[in-house]
Amino acid sequence: MRLVEAPDQTRRSVDEKNLHHVWSRVEGVIGWLCTTNHKEISLRYIITAFGFFCAAGVLALLMRLQLSVPNNRLIGPDLYNQLFTVHGSTMMFLFAVPVMEGVGLYLVPLMIGTRNVAFPRLNALGYYVYLAGGLVLYGGLFCNIGPDTGWFSYVPLAGPDFSPGKRVDFWAQMITFTEISALIAGIEIIVTVFKQRAPGMSIDRIPIYVWAVLITAFMVIFAMPAVMLVSTMLAMDRMSHVATHFFNVAEGGDALLYQHLFWFFGHPEVYIIFIPATGFVSTIIGTFSRRPLVGHSALVLSLIATAFIGFGLWVHHMFATPVPILGRSFFTGASMLIAIPSGVQIFCWIATLWTGKPVWKSPLLFVLGFFAIFVLGGLTGVMLASVPLDLQVHDTFFVVAHFHYVLIGGAVFPLFGAFHYWFPKWTGRMLDEGIAKLTFWLMFIGFNLTFFPMHQLGLEGMPRRVYTYHANLGWNGLNMAASIGAGVMGIAVLCFLYNVLKSRRSGVIAGNNPWQAPTLEWATTSPPQPYNFLYQPTVNSMHPLWFDRPNQPFVVGLKTDRREVLTTTLLHAVPEHIHELPEDSCWPILLTVVISGTLLGVIFNPWPFVIGMIPMYIVLFAWFWRDIDLKHLGRAK
Amino acid sequence: MKTENVALDVSDLPVSELDHRSLVWWGNVLMMVIETTVFALLVASYLYVRMNFGHWPPPQPNRFPPLAAEYPSIPMGLTTVIPLLISLIPMIWADRAALKLKANAVRWGLFLSILAGGVIAYLRFRELRYLPFDWDDNAYASIVWTLCGMHLMHIVVATCENIVMFAWAVVHSLDKKHARDVRVNAVYWYWVVGIWVPLFCIIYVGPRI
Repeated sequence: MRLVEAPDQTRRSVDEKNLHHVWSRVEGVIGWLCTTNHKEISLRYIITAFGFFCAAGVLALLMRLQLSVPNNRLIGPDLYNQLFTVHGSTMMFLFAVPVMEGVGLYLVPLMIGTRNVAFPRLNALGYYVYLAGGLVLYGGLFCNIGPDTGWFSYVPLAGPDFSPGKRVDFWAQMITFTEISALIAGIEIIVTVFKQRAPGMSIDRIPIYVWAVLITAFMVIFAMPAVMLVSTMLAMDRMSHVATHFFNVAEGGDALLYQHLFWFFGHPEVYIIFIPATGFVSTIIGTFSRRPLVGHSALVLSLIATAFIGFGLWVHHMFATPVPILGRSFFTGASMLIAIPSGVQIFCWIATLWTGKPVWKSPLLFVLGFFAIFVLGGLTGVMLASVPLDLQVHDTFFVVAHFHYVLIGGAVFPLFGAFHYWFPKWTGRMLDEGIAKLTFWLMFIGFNLTFFPMHQLGLEGMPRRVYTYHANLGWNGLNMAASIGAGVMGIAVLCFLYNVLKSRRSGVIAGNNPWQAPTLEWATTSPPQPYNFLYQPTVNSMHPLWFDRPNQPFVVGLKTDRREVLTTTLLHAVPEHIHELPEDSCWPILLTVVISGTLLGVIFNPWPFVIGMIPMYIVLFAWFWRDIDLKHLGRAK
Repeated sequence: MKTENVALDVSDLPVSELDHRSLVWWGNVLMMVIETTVFALLVASYLYVRMNFGHWPPPQPNRFPPLAAEYPSIPMGLTTVIPLLISLIPMIWADRAALKLKANAVRWGLFLSILAGGVIAYLRFRELRYLPFDWDDNAYASIVWTLCGMHLMHIVVATCENIVMFAWAVVHSLDKKHARDVRVNAVYWYWVVGIWVPLFCIIYVGPRI
């Protein structure tokens, strides 16, 4: 390793041509299906997740339509049960987690200055398995076998005695698909951040967003196994050929065991969704305040603290069950404790805005919306952390209001901010600022009109998960208001979609760094080339595009006739060795087909699990052995 | 050399590494973390269900004699624990040989590990058959069968991976990249063996104390 003179213009254009040849995928359908480019796969994650967001939004609109007037006969109780179950399951498993991981998988390699994620083929597998899981759930819904026991599928309701048929099994299997995918993405992100950072990016120079995604990935690794396990246990209890008794009280099983295992995943899940969103907020605030974040270390430590405390809160979802008094007090304390790191973050953000020179563009607007809504959701959260109040409003619309304030405020608003912020990087064009502001205001007003009345409805005693209500209970007006608000939110999403479609074709050309942001993803072209950077960068500060000298050295000496990346040491990011990444591959999609067939079969009979292992092994054997040269199958780009 | 416009030439760095510096090594570690979490949650479930019973293992009223609550037999359990521990020897041998890129020793080490894996899988089937209860007897039985069955699956999967490595080493000999894969696989096998020791103690020894 040594310093040399930078390559001249001739050399650069030769390298560029070679890299382009090596990193581009082949044209045509086969190339499209077999790509391992993290940017293409991530955009598919984002688009697919957004598709599911819209689908679940339509389900929500149907529910609001049903509830808009009392004694409504539009949707019956059976379909209504399926609607709220699929709505919740989609938003949690098919939208919130995948979209956060999708954005992370796009940005992390760019922000840390490398060419692709650590395991590109595994990454493609993760996406396809996720897509298959989503299609299974919606396939079920359209065939009237959509799950109908809530997004958490509590036993005994979801057990074999009270939910015969296959509806719950479709839910359980959708979990298996999506969690395989989430765990794959978690591993990708951790290894990529650990080993592929640009030389000089020691851990104190990692951008805050990368920290957020990294911490989330660790949470995924410890939380997701719980839901995979519990849904598998549920499926085994339900399957007549197996008939285990994990949750069968008559044979010593325990319904509360289900709740414990589920919420051991379910509570960290909230932070799995929220922590990447704080990464968006920190990034957007830093860029638009035109200064480094106030309290960067405090922010990172708050995220880590949140991740740890997040694993100690799950029982507060179970205050209405017979958990020991001491346990309740402990989890009340822990639930209030987590307000501290969240508070630290909010104060750091306010201080950054206060002492900076804020530029009021649409991404920042969404962040301000996040402040207002999330703080309100946090306040009702502190209220719900107290057991007596929780018991009073348990299973009422107050809880629905609370978690929509937390999740939409805490995740969807920052996510829309992130869409507006990184859209130029993804497509090369700016979104229309006027329509963006309109989107924000419609969404902000629509959201509050929908969910604020629900606090009052809950305090007045309106229970969740009822398909209708009597006219003389005094809930008519507020329900109508909530339904109108839902419609306004729907219009806001349509506005956003229109903006995307219009700007993608005719938006203003963005250039490399339209926001004058400090992180490395803005150092390359918009959209980035398949190889991300012509030469992998090195960094000398946390904000390389603001504070590094223009002649900061870049990395040369990687071969340009195969897909090589530089790996660096974990703490100090000193160059360590060169790693060759695989070519594009047809095995991920083939393996997905085999996995999907196996998991679908297992819904009906346990034997497909054993039989499916054979083709799975054959495909994995081939995966290990060699990649089929796609350039022979399709014409090279 | 000018001080303006310099570049960092890394062409003399090694390609691929055989230890914790490699990406695959880290991927494998995280995989093991995930699977350890699964086992830990199963153990937690086991202990949670235990609170529902006065006697542990729970009596089986449907059996004759009716209240017999047999402990799982320790000698039967040892029929897999001891072979598992012995199987470490060829795996460590293959691991060490891979570090020195000795193809022949790797082949032999892997061959013996595959044999060991096959034998242990058979012994585990036998162990399951001799458990004094079936998986659908009660919640206790369900969890013990799941723990044993899940671990059996890991033995089978790790052995299948060894077969792939062995096939590669026989057909293509051994380059640095595949020596790394052998080593990563060896780490996985150590984990498969290691995780069974506490599980054995919980399933076989735990109920007696």
